[in-house]
Amino acid sequence: MPDVPIQRHRLDNGLRIVLSPDHSAPIVAVNLWYDVGSKHEKPGRTGFAHLFEHMMFQGSEHVSKAEHFALIQQAGGTLNASTWLDRTNYFETVPSHELELCLWLESDRLASLLPAMTQEKLDNQREVVKNERRWSVDNQPYGTWDERIQALLFPEGHTYHHPTIGSMEDLNAASLEDVREFFATYYAPNNASLTVAGDFEPDAALRMIERHFGGIPPNENLPPQPDMSIAPRIGRELREVVADRVPLPRVYLAYRIPVFGTDAFEDLTVASDVLGTGRASRLYHSLVRERQLAQDVTVFPFPIVGGASMFTLWATARPGVSHEQLEAGLLSEIQKLADEGPSDAELQRVRNLHAAAVESSLERIAERADRLSMYTCLFDQPERINTEVSRYWAVDARRVQEAMQASLVADNRLVLTYVPAEQPSSEEAA
Amino acid sequence: MTAVVNPLRPPAGAPRPYHFPDFSRGRMANGLTVWTVPVPSAAMVNVHLLVDAGASAEDEPHAGVAALTAQLLVTGTRRLDASAFAEATELLGIEVSSESSWDSARAAFQSLPQYMEAGLALLAEMVQEPRFDPSEFERLRAERLADILQARSDPGRLADEMFLGHVFDAATPYRRLSAGTPETVEALTLDDVRAHHDVHWRPASAHLIVAGPVEPDAVMAAAEANLGAWSGSGPGHRDFEPAAGGGRRVVLVDRPGSVQSELRVGHLGIDRRSERYFPAMVLGALLGGVFGSRLNLRLREELGYTYGARAGFDPRRAVGPFSAAAAVQTEVTADALREMVGLLTTIRDAAPEDSELHEVRDFLVGVFPLRFETTGGVAMAIEPVAVYGLPDDYWQSYRANLEAVGADDVLSAARDLLHPDEYLMLVVGDASRVQGELEAAGLAPLEIVANP
Repeated sequence: MPDVPIQRHRLDNGLRIVLSPDHSAPIVAVNLWYDVGSKHEKPGRTGFAHLFEHMMFQGSEHVSKAEHFALIQQAGGTLNASTWLDRTNYFETVPSHELELCLWLESDRLASLLPAMTQEKLDNQREVVKNERRWSVDNQPYGTWDERIQALLFPEGHTYHHPTIGSMEDLNAASLEDVREFFATYYAPNNASLTVAGDFEPDAALRMIERHFGGIPPNENLPPQPDMSIAPRIGRELREVVADRVPLPRVYLAYRIPVFGTDAFEDLTVASDVLGTGRASRLYHSLVRERQLAQDVTVFPFPIVGGASMFTLWATARPGVSHEQLEAGLLSEIQKLADEGPSDAELQRVRNLHAAAVESSLERIAERADRLSMYTCLFDQPERINTEVSRYWAVDARRVQEAMQASLVADNRLVLTYVPAEQPSSEEAA
Repeated sequence: MTAVVNPLRPPAGAPRPYHFPDFSRGRMANGLTVWTVPVPSAAMVNVHLLVDAGASAEDEPHAGVAALTAQLLVTGTRRLDASAFAEATELLGIEVSSESSWDSARAAFQSLPQYMEAGLALLAEMVQEPRFDPSEFERLRAERLADILQARSDPGRLADEMFLGHVFDAATPYRRLSAGTPETVEALTLDDVRAHHDVHWRPASAHLIVAGPVEPDAVMAAAEANLGAWSGSGPGHRDFEPAAGGGRRVVLVDRPGSVQSELRVGHLGIDRRSERYFPAMVLGALLGGVFGSRLNLRLREELGYTYGARAGFDPRRAVGPFSAAAAVQTEVTADALREMVGLLTTIRDAAPEDSELHEVRDFLVGVFPLRFETTGGVAMAIEPVAVYGLPDDYWQSYRANLEAVGADDVLSAARDLLHPDEYLMLVVGDASRVQGELEAAGLAPLEIVANP
């Protein structure tokens, strides 16, 4: 069972801090989650939270463009950031004697990003992000799958309706004024969770954090979270067929499910592993090995918290297999598990796989820091990191069945099918 | 370029010394070399079995047999069919992998320490008594053929494959993917797999690497108990001298409708035991291995042409490729290619400034302890020592070897290892939109090849 040490603190300006010392290797991880993601974007500004994340690497009052990366890498560190529906995270892992460098860099951009902003930098990163979109979505086989699923599973007006990467049109519209407003609204210490994990002395680290972050004022007018309430089920089956430049058909199934953090989400996580994790999983055994309908299968629920989450699975058809056959095969396996529940042996299998996966992930201090920030940001409960395994093991066959029968049903289902196009689509050539 | 010293940068504390973990090595009577790397604080154990049965051990008419053999091993043993083997391992929380690259085949797993011995027993059974079921063979061969189709629909993977296919000459095995071509995989039979396994999956030149909270005596005893009866030696890999597929030229692969062009520029590089290994690593990082590298700063941070540009050497047992890569929007294809080739050429004009050299070299040296945080990272680090016969103190002297690379060494590596008059410039993109400007750019003769 994981036993990650946790010390919690809070600065007067509202910054939440988690310290998790571990001296087994001379390295330390710093991780910041800001409670802002693409779900906070305004209409007409899709993609902005992510574009803003790029701007955070363009320098601040005392740090020049590209210097953040240069200083961390020269210190022997690794770093990055990512933006998703609910949040934006920034992280560094460095040899432990360079801890303060990370804290200084993170604090300088939180305290003083705007003096360094220029139109030229914004225009540059806008082009970079548009190329990121072309690379990961527009020029990629099946690349539009997740934005299509979000657009169909969440109605217009719900802020999971649009993808984090945003649209080209909205990226083109982003202005320096948007940067100023977004920064002033969301980039405040009372909207952030900071974790330090690894080889450091907690008292010394706390003094450094106080020194670098303590003087940054909070935003006393943080906006409330957007209203993301939504019916628990779609209410009917949705279907879409996409002709794409792909050699083999692929079927995606998606369902609206309870949010990350609920018992039902945990139950459906177990269901997803029984269905799709490992070569002894039901879908691999039945559709890949026995019936040879699928080339591969993937199943996972999205750990998101805004009103509803998504349960997604996909399978690529073997040559000669129609997408109708593949879809029927997927649906019958889901129905079978919902009807009969997992066996004791199946539960034992996924529990042991899960326990090993958690221990393996937590070997990396960067992962430990990221999960501590996540649980603090989303639930104000960093200690959830130590109950991941016990919560998973508490799920029994009855709970799996009940959660599946409540959510993985026909009137809550989206079927998105990619079929090989005869010609490249004009949409992509535009 | 960035400032060398920012006056506000907090001073670093005193570094805590870090050393690569000590390992012990023993040899069993059947020739199997057993490497144990005790990492007492680790939560996981990694077990890697490396066999000289990779793609360089197969002949060209059977290209892909090494990969298919490795993949087929996880589909059961004489005692356990494919489903029973998957259940037996996954009940222990273990997912066994088996795959091959050019230089070796690897069967491996990671587990919680209490399941290591049971996992090793299943791994050993799989290697010594594989089931080689005909229906599983047919299934995996068909999956492999479909994988090739899938990979070619991805522009980046298509560019990688086409680059290799043109950068090496027709007689060099490296010109194709290690997992074979559609033609050779289609022709493989279960007898070919049986023969490959029977001849090459032998212990005499194989290595078992175990890293985690383990002791050498216990590992040796477990290896003896489970792999002691394994016997024989194989012929091992072929040796060959890679040769270039042609001189400086632009090769355009038409992919209609592409909104980006995938660019690859390069030629032959170095082998893994090259004396130029460390200067080449610094040179590669300086060109395209860190965020502040020349290619990334210019193409991304100044021009906004790409999400990222990278470059580096891919050393193998024989000479592997050097390449630079970026995906750029279609409209700037020729200009981006000109920029890349320009940076890959001017690097030969002058030694890098100290600040630039420090940024990349200090990264490669300083990131050392981060690479070995997990037992998987530690086990992976032993692999090149075992497979290429690097010296036992390789990781002990690794940082000093990097530190010794000076600006002049980078310059001479650039002059000796980079040859602008031999650059292959490979473009995967919409020919109807980029052919004209590529011709007008006059970088080199243009050849258009069919998209496979």
